[in-house]
Amino acid sequence: MAEFSWSSHSPLEHALATGVHGLRGTEAGVSLTEIRNFDLIQVMARRGKWAELARAAKTRFEVAAPDGPNAVQAKDATLIWSGPDQFLVLSKDGNHAMNTLAPAFSGLASLSDQSHARALISISGAKARSMLAKLSSLDLHPAVFPVGAAAATSIDHTSATLWRGGDQPDGQAVFNLLVFATFAESLWHTMLDAGAEYGIDIRYSEELA
Amino acid sequence: MRIVCPFCGERELGEFTYLGDAKPQRPAADAGEDAVYDYVYLRDNVAGVMSEHWYHGGGCRSWLKITRNTLTHEISSVEPAAGVGAAKVGV
Repeated sequence: MAEFSWSSHSPLEHALATGVHGLRGTEAGVSLTEIRNFDLIQVMARRGKWAELARAAKTRFEVAAPDGPNAVQAKDATLIWSGPDQFLVLSKDGNHAMNTLAPAFSGLASLSDQSHARALISISGAKARSMLAKLSSLDLHPAVFPVGAAAATSIDHTSATLWRGGDQPDGQAVFNLLVFATFAESLWHTMLDAGAEYGIDIRYSEELA
Repeated sequence: MRIVCPFCGERELGEFTYLGDAKPQRPAADAGEDAVYDYVYLRDNVAGVMSEHWYHGGGCRSWLKITRNTLTHEISSVEPAAGVGAAKVGV
């Protein structure tokens, strides 16, 4: 039997250069942080099983699973709506990886491991919304897209999951973006172009925002 | 043109794909060749209110049944197509 050695790489490792991009000499208006090494499981209810799945999710996460375009923060996971009767589970350190979620939702849901299939980008800064407004047709004003709002949408013709996480200590909004790994580099460059006029602070992190 | 997805809310047209007339029903297995031919190929060219299937592929990936006036693009109703979402089987 062939032996395999898997080493995971960020889909953005060639595109991401830490530091400042675009406008300099003033505080960067946009902060882009790629989050690396996360667990992401797509959970899709089986036919007629949504109510049962929702109960099982409540037991496991101690919060109600999203039944509409919202992202719900649990103790050690974020549950992000991704369509009718389905949501994503974002977590770290194997707490809610495939091998633990599969038995918990056995018979109720179909699960698909997306951990290495998506890139996760956290967008913040005073001009974050201005940058996103160039790429997305969604209204991201706080009155319409508050903390916990989520959207399955298209950004620059690329399918993406966008949700607003908890605000930063200084009150600034944080937008989180999941994008297919193979489209991540393209969207990354598009965001660099869109945000260059505001200055972009580029980092990566191992911590979920 | 914007479409109010019953799951996602108001979204731009670019997130949706048009399938076409939602009226044709698949004929029974023994209905004969003419009925199948009609079902697969023949469509009315409606000038006015029409029931259509649209796919929200750039969003929640749900099939929708939309009532649209082809003359004015006015959309009078948007609902999930039958079977959309695991909890909504047979709707």
